[in-house]
Amino acid sequence: MCLFFYFRDRKEWADLEPVPQDDGPNPVVKIAYSEKFTDVFDMFRALLKNDEKSERAFALTAEAIELNAANYTVWHYRRVLLQALDKDLREEMKYITAIIEDQPKNYQVWHHRRMVVEWLNDPSEELQFVAEILSQDAKNYHAWQHRQWVMQEYKLWDGELEYVEELLEEDVRNNSAWNQRHFVISHTRGYSDSAILEREVQYTLKQIKKAPHNESAWNYLNGILQDGGLSSYPGLLEQVTELQDTCSSPYLTAFLVDLYEDALETNSSSYDQQETLNKALELCKLLAEEKDTIRREYWNYVSRSLQNTYGSGDPDALN
Amino acid sequence: MADLDHEQLDFLRERHVHFFQRCLHVLPERYAPYETRRLTIVFFALSGLDVLDALDVVDKPGLIEWIYSLQVLPTDDKSNLSRCGFRGSSHIGVPYNSSKGPGAPHTYDSGHVAMTYTGLACLIILGDDLSRVCREACLAGLRALQLEDGSFGSRSGSENDMRFVYCAACICYMLDDWSGMDRQRAIDYIRRSTSYDSGIGQGAGLESHGGSTFCAVASLCMMGKLHEVFSERELKRIRCWCILRQQNGFHGRPNKPVDTCYSFWVGATLELLDVFQYTNREKNRNYILSTQDRLVGGFAKWPDSHPDPLHTYFAICGLSLIGEADLQKVHPALNISVRAFESLRQLQGAWRQKTT
Repeated sequence: MCLFFYFRDRKEWADLEPVPQDDGPNPVVKIAYSEKFTDVFDMFRALLKNDEKSERAFALTAEAIELNAANYTVWHYRRVLLQALDKDLREEMKYITAIIEDQPKNYQVWHHRRMVVEWLNDPSEELQFVAEILSQDAKNYHAWQHRQWVMQEYKLWDGELEYVEELLEEDVRNNSAWNQRHFVISHTRGYSDSAILEREVQYTLKQIKKAPHNESAWNYLNGILQDGGLSSYPGLLEQVTELQDTCSSPYLTAFLVDLYEDALETNSSSYDQQETLNKALELCKLLAEEKDTIRREYWNYVSRSLQNTYGSGDPDALN
Repeated sequence: MADLDHEQLDFLRERHVHFFQRCLHVLPERYAPYETRRLTIVFFALSGLDVLDALDVVDKPGLIEWIYSLQVLPTDDKSNLSRCGFRGSSHIGVPYNSSKGPGAPHTYDSGHVAMTYTGLACLIILGDDLSRVCREACLAGLRALQLEDGSFGSRSGSENDMRFVYCAACICYMLDDWSGMDRQRAIDYIRRSTSYDSGIGQGAGLESHGGSTFCAVASLCMMGKLHEVFSERELKRIRCWCILRQQNGFHGRPNKPVDTCYSFWVGATLELLDVFQYTNREKNRNYILSTQDRLVGGFAKWPDSHPDPLHTYFAICGLSLIGEADLQKVHPALNISVRAFESLRQLQGAWRQKTT
């Protein structure tokens, strides 16, 4: 056990009166702080009170952060000092890099990094840094948020689609990567380019063949085709129906229900309305009874809605 | 010998009451990261005890005093209005003051939108009439936090996302005063945060997530604008995205592990969308109870993990949604008991009377 030289006993701090927390006569949710913790933060409160802008204040923020990196007041104050003392921001980048590596799910550390990047106006390390964090947890929401901010702010779109594909190679079920795919494409070429759309449809079907039971891929396929309408995309019904034997999943079946519903909603002339309704109802029944039984009540509800909206009113029409 | 392999599916009410009582008293030092948000822990405990119908165990007047001491009061010259609201704790070191004001000036003293939300909610749950709340100051503080894109920060210079849009909506809803926000901008932010898969993310382009979906849908419901903002077709797709989150319990994103708290985040969203009735209640209940800590009480995100106040609270609310016996009903948008909500409505009625 280390001996800690309390700030209150250090002669360089003798001029500051520590400020304790004051929870009054009815303290609630008291956290049982150690002496060291109390000492550091009592001194921190004293600095805050005087709004002291000094090297010793800056040094103390690091001590406070080590004890509680979630205290946003400490980070705010540290930023005030970084500017007031004209501190080396490159050094600060190294500092925040180490802290994020250690605590990658803390909101304050990512926000701090963003501020430093903005002050430096230098995003050059960011994509690599975020990739490093994602290599430890490929779905870290903070990391993805930071990455998207950097890319949009500094227009760093090159190479991102390749990066997404690498991640999907590693884990085709990474929903964050699929989301990022959509993010990149919608901010660059866009999906209104039919060559791009077709490329994406084929890419997604390929991934589905590799791992059929993958909600992310099916959500992506459905999502990118929403605008044009599932039932009017050429060859889609055939390609998906073809997958039914080898790549069956509740998502495939639900996708077909969506496709048929789109045909009904748009009153598509390429589809026989009654037959399409029957197929949709049949698939809802299949989902409820066999393929997605946890959502049985929901699929029955979908079935009833379809019947009410598009049916002739005869509940036995299917039989 | 008792069959330890079988899941034990009894809800240990007394254990959870004691768990919350201990939270309200003392927490170990490893809870240090919670310092700035101790008020949210008070909220989880009080609202949890309320849903458990066990508020009689707490010292209501004492708690009310402590909560009011967290209010950032307007100073004499009212120069800090944009920073008014409630603090998460006494960590800044301002002198204790549970009165209605005025406040002592302090450069770094500021409210936090999630603390203003939970502070007001706690006061309501405790039966307080909010007479010491500086409502105009809270609303001024709130207005100052809304950004151009319609989202909210938690305080000046903080990160901004859907969590704080929700907190802002709750504050306006509780104070019965929407001058605290530009609703149209917030609505625009929500629409832009809707993903290609019809779930809703923390912001535009971000991955759809059960927590942010709840925040968005609940906010729109409190504004009374759900059906104005989303078409029936869009609502159908949001319902579908949400209902697909059930695996046994619920997860927050496709292909992620389930976590007890999503039984509330997603469950309440489904309830607001009128389709919670179509979820599988048994599997949901079984999962939640598998995360119950039978020894110390409380619930964790996963089985055989340490319980914490947040997961305990949302597990209980998740069970309440299912209709678990002896639990109070929860208002699915505002996230307090219906009973507490009723007393809020009464209070709001009295406010309206006064202004007419």
